[in-house]
Amino acid sequence: MLSTLLSPVRGAEGRCRCTGYPRVVGKAAGVVLAGGRSTRMGTAKSELEWHGSTLLYRAAAVMARSVDGPVVVVAAPGQELPELPAGVEVVEDPVDGLGPMQGLAAGLAAVADRADVAFVCSTDLPFLHPAYVRRVLRALTDDIDVVLPVARGFRQPLAAAYQTRIAGLVAKLLAEGNQRPGMIFKHCDVTQLDDAALLADAAVAKYDPELDSVLNVNTPEDYRAARDREPPEVVVERFGALAKGGGHRPKVVRAATIGQAAEVVGLTLDRHVVAALNGDQVTKDGRLPLVAGDAVAFLSADAGG
Amino acid sequence: MAPGGFFGQALVVDVHAGHATGSRLTLDDQVLRAYLGGVGLGTWLMHRLAPPGVDPLAPQAPLAFVYSSLVGTPLTTSAKFAVVAKSPLTGLLTDALASSQFAISGKLTGHDAIVIRGRADELSVLLIDGDGPRLEPAPDFAGLSAADAETKAKERFGRGWRTAAIGPAGERGVRYATISHDGRHAGRGGLGAVLGAKNIKAVLVKAATKVGVADQAGVLAAAKDLRGRSFGPATAKYRELGTLANLLAFNAVSTLPTRNFTAATFAEAPRLAAEELHELRGVARNSCASCSIGCEHIYARKGGGSQRMEYENVFALGPLCGVSDPDDVFAASARCDELGIDTISAGGTIAWAMECVERGLIEEPWLRFGDGAALLRALDAIGSRAAGLGELLAEGSRRAAERVGHGSLDFAAQVKGLEMPGYEPRSLQSMALGLAVNARGADHNRSGAYEADLSGDVDRFHGGAAHVAAAVQTEDKAAVMDSMILCKFLRGVFDDPFTEWARLLALVTGWDLDADELRTAARRIVRAKRAFNLREGATAADDTLPVRMLETPIELGSGRTAALTADRLRSMVASYYEARGLDQDGRVSATDLADLFL
Ligand code: SF4
Repeated sequence: MLSTLLSPVRGAEGRCRCTGYPRVVGKAAGVVLAGGRSTRMGTAKSELEWHGSTLLYRAAAVMARSVDGPVVVVAAPGQELPELPAGVEVVEDPVDGLGPMQGLAAGLAAVADRADVAFVCSTDLPFLHPAYVRRVLRALTDDIDVVLPVARGFRQPLAAAYQTRIAGLVAKLLAEGNQRPGMIFKHCDVTQLDDAALLADAAVAKYDPELDSVLNVNTPEDYRAARDREPPEVVVERFGALAKGGGHRPKVVRAATIGQAAEVVGLTLDRHVVAALNGDQVTKDGRLPLVAGDAVAFLSADAGG
Repeated sequence: MAPGGFFGQALVVDVHAGHATGSRLTLDDQVLRAYLGGVGLGTWLMHRLAPPGVDPLAPQAPLAFVYSSLVGTPLTTSAKFAVVAKSPLTGLLTDALASSQFAISGKLTGHDAIVIRGRADELSVLLIDGDGPRLEPAPDFAGLSAADAETKAKERFGRGWRTAAIGPAGERGVRYATISHDGRHAGRGGLGAVLGAKNIKAVLVKAATKVGVADQAGVLAAAKDLRGRSFGPATAKYRELGTLANLLAFNAVSTLPTRNFTAATFAEAPRLAAEELHELRGVARNSCASCSIGCEHIYARKGGGSQRMEYENVFALGPLCGVSDPDDVFAASARCDELGIDTISAGGTIAWAMECVERGLIEEPWLRFGDGAALLRALDAIGSRAAGLGELLAEGSRRAAERVGHGSLDFAAQVKGLEMPGYEPRSLQSMALGLAVNARGADHNRSGAYEADLSGDVDRFHGGAAHVAAAVQTEDKAAVMDSMILCKFLRGVFDDPFTEWARLLALVTGWDLDADELRTAARRIVRAKRAFNLREGATAADDTLPVRMLETPIELGSGRTAALTADRLRSMVASYYEARGLDQDGRVSATDLADLFL
C-alpha cells in the first residue's frame, strides 16, 4: 500500500536554536549496511578513504548524531570492518550473498528490542545529512511501517525509515526467497516522500537543497568526484584560552571533519582541547564528520573549576 | 617531634562572655598522616570536638581554621586554609578553602589548626599570636563589610595582624554567610553565620614562630619545578581569562543553568562572557599569596570601581536569575561581597524565589527573572534579614521552600540544603552523581566529576559505570588537594597526581608515603565526612538531586533533550556506595570506622 506525502508532516515541531534542525521525537535506531559486493567499485566501499577515516566511519557517525537510540553496522559474514566511532555496534549477516534484504533483516532484528523505528542506510552515501535522516524519521508515524523517499527520481530503500516491528516480516520474506526490498512494500503500509515533501523541511531545504543525501558512489569515478567536492561550510567557535584575540566570535570555515575544522583555526584536538558539535556530545575524535550548518565549539578539556 | 611542616597541635579557643582561653590539643603523627591537614584534619576535629546533634549556631558548635604541612612553603598555590564546621544551611559537615597571608600567619601562631567554641557577650574580635588568644570588644565593627572590618582591624591593632572577618550577613545569621580574608571567601555552607553566632566579627592572627620542613633543598627544587609547570597549557585558562572562561563554553555545550535550571543555555550569555568583558573591561589580574597562576581577573565597573569576577558568581547572579547586563551582575557580586554572603546560594535562592513569584507562590511581583534592580533589592533584603522576603530567603532555598510549600521544594535547586553550582546535571551526568553524593551538598569543588563529562571520554547524557568511576576518582583527588593543601586549579599539571603529591608531602614532612597510602588517605577523608554526616542524621535519602532534575528533561542546543531519571541516579548512587565500600544505605562499615582514628 503506497501513499505519497506531498506536504510537510503534521505537528508543530520544536527546532534547535543553533541549527534549526527539528527535534527527533521518540526512540530511533540507526542501521548501516556495510556488506555488499562493491563490484563496480572494485574495492569494498566501507573501506574507501574519507577525509582521514572511511566512508563507513562517516555513515556510522552521521547516524549516531541523528538518532537517539543504538547504531548498528551490519557486516557480511567474516567481513573485516575498518575502525568505527565509539559506541557503534556490529552485527553479522548470518548468510552471505542475500543482498540488502538480509542486511535489513539482521539490522532491524538487532535493534528491535531497543528502538521502535530505525533509519536504514547503505555505506555509500557520502553526503547523507542528519536533517534528511530526521525528516524521514519524523514521517514514520505508528500507523505506517515504512517511510520510503523517492528522491532525485529514484526510490531510496537504503536511505529510508522502518518500524523495527517488521523485522520478522522481512526475515519471513527472505526465507521465502524474496531478496528484493521492493517485496517489503507490497506487504506494508508505506508512505513515500518525494523531493518536494523532503524539501518542505526547512533544515533539508537549507542544508541539503539538492538532496545529495541520497547520492551514492558506485564507481571509482563517482568516488573521486565526491571526494573532490569542497567540504561543507560550518561555523567554528573557540572558547577560553583557545580564543585569543577575539577568536571566540563565530567563524565560517569549510571542513569535512572536526579535525579539519580544528586545523583551520590553528588547533589540535588533544588532552587539553576538545570539541562539541552543535552543543551535543563532547569529543576528542577529529574524524567525526561535519555537514553543512554544523556549529563546532572548541573548548579547553579542563573546562570547569 | 612533629613531622616536617607541622606543629603537632591545635589551639582550641573557648570564648566565654568577655574573654577567651586557649588549650592545646595534641595532633599525633598518626592523625596527621591519616588526614594530611586542611579539610581532612578539619573533619577529624569536628568528629572530636562537635557534640553530636549540636545546633551549628549554638555556642558549643566548633569552627576550625585548619592549615597543612605545605602552608608557608614556596610550593605554588599552597598558601591556603580550610574552614570547617557543621553547616547552618545543611546541618551537615561543611568545609571551605580560602587563601593568602591569613593561612601563613595563622599557621605560624604555632598551630596546625585553630578551633573556636563559645560565644562572646558582645560583638568582638579574637586575636591569636604566640601568646595565645585574647578577645577584644568591637561593637564599632558592627555592620561593616569584611573588607572594611579588615581595614579597621589593621588600624586598631597594627599591620602585623592578618584578619578573617564576616560581613553584616554573618552577624545576622544569614545561613549562607561567608568568612573572608583579603577579598577571598570561605564561601559555602554558612561558615560566616557560625562565627557570627559566636559574636565574633573577625579573627586576627600574627606569626610568632617558624616551622622547618624535612628536606629544605628538595622542597625548593620541587617548588621551582612546580612553578615552571604552572605556566603551561593546563593552567592557561585560569591565567588568561580566569574561571569566567567557562561561561560561553558551558553555554555552547548546553550546561549553563539558566532561570532556575529551566534551561541549559542562555541566549544573552555573550554579554557576560570573559572573552568579551576582557576586551572591554579587563583591568587587572591578581593572585593569592604564593601563587604563580593568578586566576583572579578584575573588571572595571561602570561609574568607577572594580570587581573580581568568577564563573560561579556570574552564573548564579546572571543566567540563573535571567540577568544579562554585566553591570547588574557586577553590582550584585559586589553587594554579596559587602554583605558577606555566598554568591551561589544567594543567586540560587533568589532564582527559586523568582520562579515562585512567576507561579504565584510568593507575592512579590517586582521579583522577576531578568530584572537586575530586583536582584539587588532581594540581596539587600537578605543581608538585612528584612521582615518577610529577607527573612525567608536568608534561610536558603530548602528551608524557604519548606515554608512556602506547594511543591516548590521540587524546583529548589539544592542538594542537602546547599544550592547547586553552575553545572547542569542532566547534561553532565558524572557530575550529577558527584553533586548527589557529596558530603557538603551540591558542590563543584569537592567533586570535579564534570571533568569526565567534558573530557570526551564518556557519554555525558547517559550516566553509568564510567561516570561512577569518574565521580569516585575526582572526589578522591579533591580530598587530597584540599587536605595537603594545593589549589585545584593546579590539578592539570600533574601527570601522575597521587605519586607526585606523595613525593611533595614526603619532602615536606619526612614521611615515606607513596601513592597508595595517599589514595587510602583520600578514601578515609571522604568516609570520615560521610561518617560525620551519618552521625548528624543524614541518610541515603539525602544522596539525591531535586525532583526537577530527575523528572524534567532539559533541551540541548542540538535540539535533542537530556534526561536523568530517578532510576538512573539511584543506580549510580548504589554503584558509588559499592565502590566506596559502603553498605546499601550508604553507611560506613565497622572496619572502616575503626580506620578513622576517632
Ligand atoms: S590559581 Fe587562583 S585561586 Fe588558586 S591559588 Fe592561584 S590565584 Fe588563588
